[in-house]
Amino acid sequence: MKQQTLRRFISLGMLVALCIFFSVLSKSFLTPNNMLEIVRDAAVPGIIGVGVTYVIITSGIDLSTGATMALVAMVMANIYKYTLIPIPIMILIGIAVGIVCGVLNGLVVAKLHLPEFIGTLATMGIFRALTYIIAVKDANGTISSVAMSHSSYAILGKGFGRIYFVSIAFVVITIIGQIILKYTRFGTNLYAVGANPKAAELSGIDIAKTRIIAYIVVGFCAAIGAIFTTGRLQSTTALLGEGFEFNPIAASVIGGVSLAGGYGEIIGTFIGAIFMAALENGVLKLQMNTAYQYVIKGAIIILVVIFDAWFNSVMEKKAQEAAAGKEA
Amino acid sequence: MKKLSVKDLSKPIILVAFFLILTILRPSSFLTVGNLGNVLWSVSIYGVMVSGTIFVFLLGGIDLSIGTLCGLTGVTCVMTIRAFGYTPAGVIAGIAAALAVGLIAGLIHGLIITTFRVPAFLVTFATQTIYLGLSMILTNNKILDCTSPALFTSIGKNPVPIILMAVAALISWYVLRKTETGRYVYAVGGNDQAAAISGISVRKITIMAYMISGFTTAIGGIILSSMTQQGMASNGSGYEQYVIMAGVIGGISLLGGEGTVPGAIFGAMIIGLLQNGLNLMSVPSTQHGLVRGLVIIAAVGFDALQRDTKFQSWLAKRRQARAAGKSAA
Repeated sequence: MKQQTLRRFISLGMLVALCIFFSVLSKSFLTPNNMLEIVRDAAVPGIIGVGVTYVIITSGIDLSTGATMALVAMVMANIYKYTLIPIPIMILIGIAVGIVCGVLNGLVVAKLHLPEFIGTLATMGIFRALTYIIAVKDANGTISSVAMSHSSYAILGKGFGRIYFVSIAFVVITIIGQIILKYTRFGTNLYAVGANPKAAELSGIDIAKTRIIAYIVVGFCAAIGAIFTTGRLQSTTALLGEGFEFNPIAASVIGGVSLAGGYGEIIGTFIGAIFMAALENGVLKLQMNTAYQYVIKGAIIILVVIFDAWFNSVMEKKAQEAAAGKEA
Repeated sequence: MKKLSVKDLSKPIILVAFFLILTILRPSSFLTVGNLGNVLWSVSIYGVMVSGTIFVFLLGGIDLSIGTLCGLTGVTCVMTIRAFGYTPAGVIAGIAAALAVGLIAGLIHGLIITTFRVPAFLVTFATQTIYLGLSMILTNNKILDCTSPALFTSIGKNPVPIILMAVAALISWYVLRKTETGRYVYAVGGNDQAAAISGISVRKITIMAYMISGFTTAIGGIILSSMTQQGMASNGSGYEQYVIMAGVIGGISLLGGEGTVPGAIFGAMIIGLLQNGLNLMSVPSTQHGLVRGLVIIAAVGFDALQRDTKFQSWLAKRRQARAAGKSAA
């Protein structure tokens, strides 16, 4: 069996094990409705995870996704509150803002050569500050949460019964993301840049362009995430998405994307996002104090990461043995 | 003697420029003894923490947990003092307990990272959440006041934090510059395989680095809890960002092997001056991120451009072309 296929089964196995664990502890966990809830909760980190996976495959990282979401949402809130621009155009402008954020990240990282971690940490601060600057304020000048409850916008938070639109978008974007990654030249370039940038450059790949496009995809996905989130909440605040940036990263890492770059796929991130949402949901169902939730979540992430490292080392050994066998 | 290049001087120049700008913009409030003392006071925690975390940075690792660990060690210290009935003996026990917690946390990071060969980013990201949870469990999510004894509250009052920062920075500088251990740290950070082949125990050095990071974080936690005179779970969260920013502005490469303690302290000063200046100009703290982000992009981008060979050769070509143009004219 190919390593990638095996890794997919292992991600799935971990997810199933987690679900069995929680369904033993709580009767209300393993119900169809709760499962659909989990998919909805996984959707926004999962959608952003598609872009973040691209960036991580190029051996980068993006810490600005939460702040990008907030900025996109706040721009739309301003349009909603102060102008008569129709909802579809407002959404398009929101997506454009996300893309601009992605371009900025890409330029900072690929053209100014800032390390991804520090570059996107800086833009995170910038986007968040901009959100506060344009935040809708009430008469006293205090920042308030903005209602965005127009029926044609709020519909984004709904769905066919419990099959929410955001869940459908999650599946569709995952499939498109996987196809682009596996069957287009851009996808192959992402792997090449992540695995060996020098070799990629020598074989004629425009590294800067590839990395910038990857960040643009993140910005686009973050905008989509912001649109669905505000549609569901029917409001936004300047705090939207604070600390959220680690969720898509955790989803892709649990799904087997290597932070060292050059390895991973969107299906893994899809499963990882559902894993994280199931974990959150299950811990909530146990009705424990939030403090214990934090401890359990952290411990499970460490266990998964350790398992992943062990699995990779075993696979590497096997590959080496196979290579040695061939030589002999 | 080594000739000083523009690059060596760029940091002091930036610092002086910052001073000048702030003095011009706010002449009456910035350049006062009280305000400069305040700047140093608020920088001291970052300075202490970065003096230890630099070991981790130099190895090419990262420690995202220092923010919430700062909170956890502060909570530990305050709770111990309260358990001892606010006595000076309790203060000593509290400090010892906090330092022990910091060292143990670092040991755990080091052991997990070296034994299972997992990325430090993920491990310390996970422990970040765990420490926050532990602090919340310990404090039952309440703020624990601790306004006495004087031995405790004096830790957070000028000039004690500044002295602690100076001592931490000096020791760290000495270890990194003058001892064998320091050379090993740079060697492992530069090329861990080569270091391992030449007989350095990469595992030992890595565990030590994370323990030092935990130790200075604990000192930071003690100072912070003394400054605020309370133990609170959310104390110190987000500090990891400032410490990382300070290090990077000061010329530390997150890839490892590059960076110095004076540079890191310089970075902490810049962060502190920036914060102070924005406060003096009454910019709301929610908008500081904009200026901080731009300064980081400018400072680090400038550094990176200097290293970029393509950019350098383009610059050289332009200079040549200009010189050629002049001579032709």
